[in-house]
Amino acid sequence: MSEPSSDCVEAAPVGLVGVGAALPSGRLAVADVAAGWDLTGGRGQLAVCGPDEDSLTLAWSAAGRALAAAGVEAGEVGGLWWGTARPPMAEGPSLAFLVAAVGLGTSSGGLLAGGSVHAGMDALVAAWDAVAAGSVATALVIASDALVPGPGTGAEKSSGAGAVALVLSGRPAGARLVARATRVRPLLDRYRGDGQAGTGDPYDPRLYRERELIPSVASAATALGDRVPAGTRWSVPDPDGRLGKAVAKAVRAEAVASEGVFARVGDTGSAAPFLGALAALAAPGPVCMVGTGGGRSTAVLLEVRSPVPGADLALTALDGGSRGTRPVTYASVLRSRGQLVPLADPVPMGVPPGSAAFVRGSEELLSLEGRRCSACGTIAVPPSIHPVCIACGNDSGELVHLARSGTVQTFVVNHTMPPPFEAPLPIAVVDLDDGSRVMLQGMPEDAVALAIGDRVDLELRRYALERGVPVYGFKVSRRIDQNGGPPGGSANGANGAAASAPSGLTGARKERS
Amino acid sequence: MSWNRVAVVGGGLIRFGELFDQSYETMAHGAFSAAVASVDKGFEPRQVEAAIVATQRGTLWGQEGIGGNTVPSAIGLAGVPCTRVENACPSGSDAFRIGAMVVASGVHDVVLVIGVEKMRDKSTDEGLLSRAAAGHPIYNRAETAPVLFAPFATRHMHEFGTTREMLASVAVKNHHNGTLDPYAHFQSEITVEQVLASPPVCHPLHLLDCCPQTDGAAAVILVSAERAREFTDKPVWVAGFGVATDHPYLHEKSTFTGLPVTTAAAERAYAMAGVGPDQIDMAEVHDCFTITEILDIEDLGFVEKGKGGVASLEGETAIGGRIPVNPSGGLLSKGHPIGATGVAQITECYWQLRGEVGERQVEIRHGNALQHNVGGRGSGVSVVNILTVNP
Repeated sequence: MSEPSSDCVEAAPVGLVGVGAALPSGRLAVADVAAGWDLTGGRGQLAVCGPDEDSLTLAWSAAGRALAAAGVEAGEVGGLWWGTARPPMAEGPSLAFLVAAVGLGTSSGGLLAGGSVHAGMDALVAAWDAVAAGSVATALVIASDALVPGPGTGAEKSSGAGAVALVLSGRPAGARLVARATRVRPLLDRYRGDGQAGTGDPYDPRLYRERELIPSVASAATALGDRVPAGTRWSVPDPDGRLGKAVAKAVRAEAVASEGVFARVGDTGSAAPFLGALAALAAPGPVCMVGTGGGRSTAVLLEVRSPVPGADLALTALDGGSRGTRPVTYASVLRSRGQLVPLADPVPMGVPPGSAAFVRGSEELLSLEGRRCSACGTIAVPPSIHPVCIACGNDSGELVHLARSGTVQTFVVNHTMPPPFEAPLPIAVVDLDDGSRVMLQGMPEDAVALAIGDRVDLELRRYALERGVPVYGFKVSRRIDQNGGPPGGSANGANGAAASAPSGLTGARKERS
Repeated sequence: MSWNRVAVVGGGLIRFGELFDQSYETMAHGAFSAAVASVDKGFEPRQVEAAIVATQRGTLWGQEGIGGNTVPSAIGLAGVPCTRVENACPSGSDAFRIGAMVVASGVHDVVLVIGVEKMRDKSTDEGLLSRAAAGHPIYNRAETAPVLFAPFATRHMHEFGTTREMLASVAVKNHHNGTLDPYAHFQSEITVEQVLASPPVCHPLHLLDCCPQTDGAAAVILVSAERAREFTDKPVWVAGFGVATDHPYLHEKSTFTGLPVTTAAAERAYAMAGVGPDQIDMAEVHDCFTITEILDIEDLGFVEKGKGGVASLEGETAIGGRIPVNPSGGLLSKGHPIGATGVAQITECYWQLRGEVGERQVEIRHGNALQHNVGGRGSGVSVVNILTVNP
């Protein structure tokens, strides 16, 4: 066995041509978690998933933004490299579902890296090698997590959720990955056994800091040696909002781009090194991002000659983007994580996830398919139940992917549903921009403002855990800036009209309790 | 097309409600006994030559495997030819139409049409579509029954300025009518303010905009014209009927301000009966939700499109109004035991045309009554039957 020739890998540089980020809009006050255990104190807030969000839905949102920023069509992407410690199916088609929903096609390459919050780094390194080797021209890398800490563990006061997607390309680009180093030591940090639902943190906090985190991160970072130029901006691990300072000191970081990220969203696991680097990616100069977890640390050096497309927009996602953030209670977070469950079983759906009808329906909904009539052009949705055209009855047609934006034709807000549905739940009939029409669930936060004529976008969400299996589909999200394109701007005031409207006015005004 | 005339010579029902102490079978027996007892000149159960049973949700309510045999066995007619009809909310209406066609064809002279529905043997959480499982296995999740009608309310309000008070006035009228109907599930007055203040169910519909979940059964006896005088000197005749279908999913609808499927069914029934909407003295229509009655009275031609809300608010559809609608209390107050609903509406029309309903009697000027249901996923099926006292 030969010695490694170098502490550091200088793989052929590849371009970073676009970045996107997504965080849930829910914010849990750490003090609420402490209060739940009769403890006082606890500062800051954590980005946490609602009942219809998870690592996969956040990954989908980030992917769409990164591809848009890069100006790359889903069809041009050679594969999806996804790193997450919390794939929604611990064993199952998590990656295949995400590939279908992003629209990468059936020949997509890539992998799902997991096992620890180092998974995002694993995905990045593997995609880098694939692009450098020329096996794909363009790679989509996603680092996402929606951490599920065990109730009562210290990690409950730090666990957040978020996703970052990067588009890598073999073509020349304004930003490049230039060097990396990984260090491995068999140390335990967080731990979740097979069959356990929540993650625990078995180590004494000081033991973790002194024997694991700082030495591991420092050894990976210092392995890059003098390749790290002066003025490098660092993204360093900061799993509790305090350790980041000690780590920065240990790696002799002068500028720390990741500072302040924890305070806004908490520890986002696999996504954390990338979220911490966003501010640096938005401005020219060298960048070093370090990720750690599962006994491994990886430092990646980037050369940013011009801002990475999408980095500015991705930074706004930390504060909820155009939609902003909303406070959520500890109890609702426990319910969303499946840690607070009612005694009664939810009423099972008529069609179980293992059945043929469900399989047909799931695939066409994930890929958002329609059937366009070859005679009159009408798009029938979904194809599995429309062997002939709904307008002219013609039986020849082609499969198409539906538009992802449209206008509300009409809607309701459902207040009475059995579990697992949670009220208020808007349901809207939407005229999509390609002339097709769909009826889909909406976002709870749109229940008050939604109106006929509103512009909406389709977003992937987790509809339910059905007999333990996550069910995904698209939901309608009301565009905040009704006069513009996707995200930016302010609300259009429909809410104000609702708040002051006396009861019994016309349907254009709302009074919903 | 020529067909033999068909007469209704008897009709009856049981008091609708949450009948926790009655089985599907005892309800059927109760309705059949009431229909038999209503025949003016007497009727022997064994005179029934064939039966049509309407039950819509057999499998959902735990009565898996209901065919044509359950009801004849329960009512003492085991051996009689019997077929179960399932055609969504118009199941009862369609059973009546099919029963009429059996008599009209000349194959049988005496046919029982009976609707039976057990809605409350399961909890309301598992009730009609509340499992949110009907239709496409994933697309249609969370679509409870009100979701199939509330989008029409939103759009009707948007386009015509229809208000929640106008919707509420339908519930207030029908609950008032229910106080005059001893068979109604609810028998108490409500106010517009109560409807507006009731909890939201599916915006813009609130609790009192919605019909309840009700157990019930109803039966009518149809005979050929030649045999009618054996049973009564005051037969009511089947004048016409129509059924129509539309795409089942809401995102496939051509409009959200009306149900063209109702208009299509009505046009067929009016043409067959040779009458128009201005010659109808009263109507029993499908008011599963307040908005549904507003759509119905427009789509059936009683009021101009868009004016249904105002007409309801101004009392045009009240007993004593220009066109009395749902004098029995309708689905909103009498209840909606699905398979029984249409048959019970026919019974009300039969009694009204014969002048037998006391305080809730409408004025019979033209001698015609109309019965209507609409339903199925996204109102994909509508049935209209027209009865007449005119020879």
